[in-house]
Amino acid sequence: MQTTASPSLTAVQQAASARTPGPIRPYGRYLYLALNIAILIFLLAPIAIVVVFALNPTPFIQFPPVGVSLRWFEKFFASRDFMHALGFSLEVAVLTTLSATVLGASAALALARGNLPGTRLIVATMLSPLMLPAILTGLALFQTYVLLDVGRPTWGLVAGHTLVTLPYVVRTTLAVLHNFDTRLEEAAQNLGASPVRTFFEVTLPLIKPGVLAGAIFAFIVSFDQFPVSLFLVSPGNETLPVTLFNYLKFDLDGTIGAASVVSIVLAFVVVIGLDRTVGLRSYVKL
Amino acid sequence: MSASIEIAGVSKVYDGGVRAVDAVAMDIRQGEFFSLLGPSGCGKTTTLRMIAGFETPSSGAIRVDGADITHVPAHKRDMGMVFQNYALFPHRTVAENVAFGLRMRGLDKATIAAKVKAALAMVELSGLEDRRPAQLSGGQQQRVALARAIVIAPRVLLCDEPLGALDKKLRQQMQFELKQLQKKLGLTLVFVTHDQEEALAMSDRIAVMNGGRVEQVGTPTEIYNQPTTRFVADFIGDTNIFRGERTAAGRSLDVGKGLILALPPTDAHGTGVLSVALRPEKIRIAPRTDAATTAGSSAHGIVENTNFLGGAVLYRVTLEGGHRVLVQQPNAGTSRLFVPGNGVTLEWTPADLVVLKD
Amino acid sequence: MMKALGSSRLSRRRFLTASASLGIGTIAAPYVARADDPTLRITGWGGKWGEIMKAEIGPAFESEFKCKLQTDSAFPYLPKLQASSRSAPIYDVLHTNSNEQWAAAEMGLVEPKIDPKLVPNLADVYPYAVSDKIVGVSIFTSAIGLGMRTDKGYGNVTSWKELWDTKYNGMRGGYVIPVNSLGQAFLMMCGTLFGKGQTDLDAAYTALEKLKPIKIVDFTGAMEKMLLSGEVGLCVIHDSGIYRYDGQNQPTDFVAPSEGVLSLEQVLTITPGSKMKELANAYVNYMLRPEVQKRLAETVWYSPANRRVKLDAKYDAKLLTTPEKVSKLIQVDWKWYNERKDEIDQRVNRIFRA
Repeated sequence: MQTTASPSLTAVQQAASARTPGPIRPYGRYLYLALNIAILIFLLAPIAIVVVFALNPTPFIQFPPVGVSLRWFEKFFASRDFMHALGFSLEVAVLTTLSATVLGASAALALARGNLPGTRLIVATMLSPLMLPAILTGLALFQTYVLLDVGRPTWGLVAGHTLVTLPYVVRTTLAVLHNFDTRLEEAAQNLGASPVRTFFEVTLPLIKPGVLAGAIFAFIVSFDQFPVSLFLVSPGNETLPVTLFNYLKFDLDGTIGAASVVSIVLAFVVVIGLDRTVGLRSYVKL
Repeated sequence: MSASIEIAGVSKVYDGGVRAVDAVAMDIRQGEFFSLLGPSGCGKTTTLRMIAGFETPSSGAIRVDGADITHVPAHKRDMGMVFQNYALFPHRTVAENVAFGLRMRGLDKATIAAKVKAALAMVELSGLEDRRPAQLSGGQQQRVALARAIVIAPRVLLCDEPLGALDKKLRQQMQFELKQLQKKLGLTLVFVTHDQEEALAMSDRIAVMNGGRVEQVGTPTEIYNQPTTRFVADFIGDTNIFRGERTAAGRSLDVGKGLILALPPTDAHGTGVLSVALRPEKIRIAPRTDAATTAGSSAHGIVENTNFLGGAVLYRVTLEGGHRVLVQQPNAGTSRLFVPGNGVTLEWTPADLVVLKD
Repeated sequence: MMKALGSSRLSRRRFLTASASLGIGTIAAPYVARADDPTLRITGWGGKWGEIMKAEIGPAFESEFKCKLQTDSAFPYLPKLQASSRSAPIYDVLHTNSNEQWAAAEMGLVEPKIDPKLVPNLADVYPYAVSDKIVGVSIFTSAIGLGMRTDKGYGNVTSWKELWDTKYNGMRGGYVIPVNSLGQAFLMMCGTLFGKGQTDLDAAYTALEKLKPIKIVDFTGAMEKMLLSGEVGLCVIHDSGIYRYDGQNQPTDFVAPSEGVLSLEQVLTITPGSKMKELANAYVNYMLRPEVQKRLAETVWYSPANRRVKLDAKYDAKLLTTPEKVSKLIQVDWKWYNERKDEIDQRVNRIFRA
């Protein structure tokens, strides 16, 4: 996020200072900085409050905090329910990311290349889970599973998550495919690469930034997913957000804050990990 | 190693009935620099793409060294190609780009390294192995594309307007180098261009295409000096085209407005309507004399426009009857230029007239 | 004294021994269900309730009745039940608050009554647990009254009407009525306090209007925390929400107003389409057993419905364990309320949005 934000930031700054010559320049600059700081505070304040809540030893939010304690983290990590939920959430998020990425990227390729009739309609359908309130998606799937008498299996939950994360992958992949020069694929074939080999040698590496961005979205959306999970989790196999919600109804203490901090850190680790290993920034010049 | 290509009555019809290529037939000889020349939309690129295997002909056949490859997939055709925008893989280094085709052929690492080194040396890019395409200039990218295509020792090298993106100076240099390389390696090279000067300068033979059809196949001098169709005459270089009816005797052409042209002796005498072409440089220009003009091979006129080209001067002259004629004179350095308004007398040799098919 | 259905494999003594050691960890060795064991699907709360059910009460039931207990503790139960087929419902036993049970009963999703012949322990419950205000059976109840800070010098609070005193401006707490049972029950109480009775909605609306300014929350847990942190000084709350912090020296106390406390019942019902009717009845009966009731009551500070339960003195002093104390309970007519819920929601939203 930061890498994409900073160049445009300086660009805007330069543009702003170019337009306001003379002594007005620093004034506009300060105003601009103040605005940015205000937005940053607005974005980060909830996280700060969660962190304070997680570290404060009292079982309620208190300002100023009376001390620093890791008791809520201890409680979180010692709780078998929370640990099971965390593990299950990760499992679901990983499976969802895999299926949404493979399906979404393939669908985007087919849509961009397949010369299919009614492409616009298919794209609209694929993106529709974004428009529909997720709670309805969850309820509809739940009813479908009940009708099919399959219960509430893990694959059903993953399917639900895949449904709502697919649009992100389709979108981001279509965006890179839109600017993709198909002559690169022809060049590869001309040099002796079979269509399959061409896909893995040329197409995939070049659409990777888009696919990866979609995959990260898919992971985070699935990991944080609440409305769809609400109906689809089965007893004993609840995801972390659902467990937190149910916990919240009976015990509103710092464990919630600790769990949120762990979630945030985990999301960060995943994004940075993917960035470092597979590389988000390697082909900025496409 | 290089191959000959036979294109036998190939047509390409797209959905909706658009005939991009219409019954094209030509033989490209082994080791030949063969150009497909024509305006955009003439079918030259589609023809090249069918040779490469990116498009399948609707009818007809393509044969390489006599073997039918019409339905062989692109990756099994063993042809090198240089694309218009080079199509270098942006995610790979220069060396990796060049090595790509060798890797697909399953060569061992040492062989690949050696061949890549040699190919890059040949295009004078040694030392840039680890750069990415985006870090190279246009000319350098062009050389990488060339090295990538020839390193696989292709049976045929296909070039789709490869020099189109370069500035004029660099372009002339690359034309020369490409030609040298082609001769040195004895490559069969099919070259698509819309630039007639480029085609004339580089090709062993040219196929001029228009509206999906081949108008004429010939050497550059044949194409220039003996265009067979009105389109070729018009498309290649500047020319004067006259259309008229044979006189009763059949030895000359009445092109109207009082102008009669003597037909070349080689013309098969007949009757009917005919077009002829006369290159501007075949017309001599002199100050107007009061002497009457020689019927069929000279005319009086007034200079309307003078265009100094450096090596030559191009005049636009309006003849007495009203015909407008382009005249080109080499710049001898001493002769004074005619200026607009000067009366002149034009003269030409009937043998320089080229009779065209419509 | 024990009217257990069928032979009890779990002796009272063993159960008590086991319970005594709970402080250290889980006791009842988890029953390893066999594949062909029947599964009873129930709902249940999370929190402390969920912990003890999972660790102790549930496994004991499983091993005694040779079955598998599958507890859904993820809300919302009612829409899930509604979405599943009537003939093959997703739950066999529904455990939820009374208002939701009434909604379920109105839709025919649960059986309105429990058969005393199949659930012998029903004979021992206080009348309120099976009254005409209850669908199924209430196995526990909490008392809704007032929660107050004891460190603010508020003096002796005895009446609901104290909440309207201007000295609590900025310090009183209430609920988002459309989503919270306590808020709904409190609205009915307002009718009783200032009008002709529970159903006097106009009087209730006028009273609510006069409560402003008031801090409102949607979860009861949030109210507990606001009281603990001193953000509110006097609020509507259930007794268990105060007593659960017993022993932590919190400056909070529960007030049972002289006009009576509202009951917040934990209700069990059986679904008509259940394929496990026998086991479902056994479960309801099991939950009403005195030793089960005692264990749960002393864990979560709910007042047991079985009048034979003898709680330890500490709990006995505070919970509703005698007919006299139980007589102070005011039950809400949820059937009446649910029929007007949309209208009430709209009206209270208008009151508190302004």
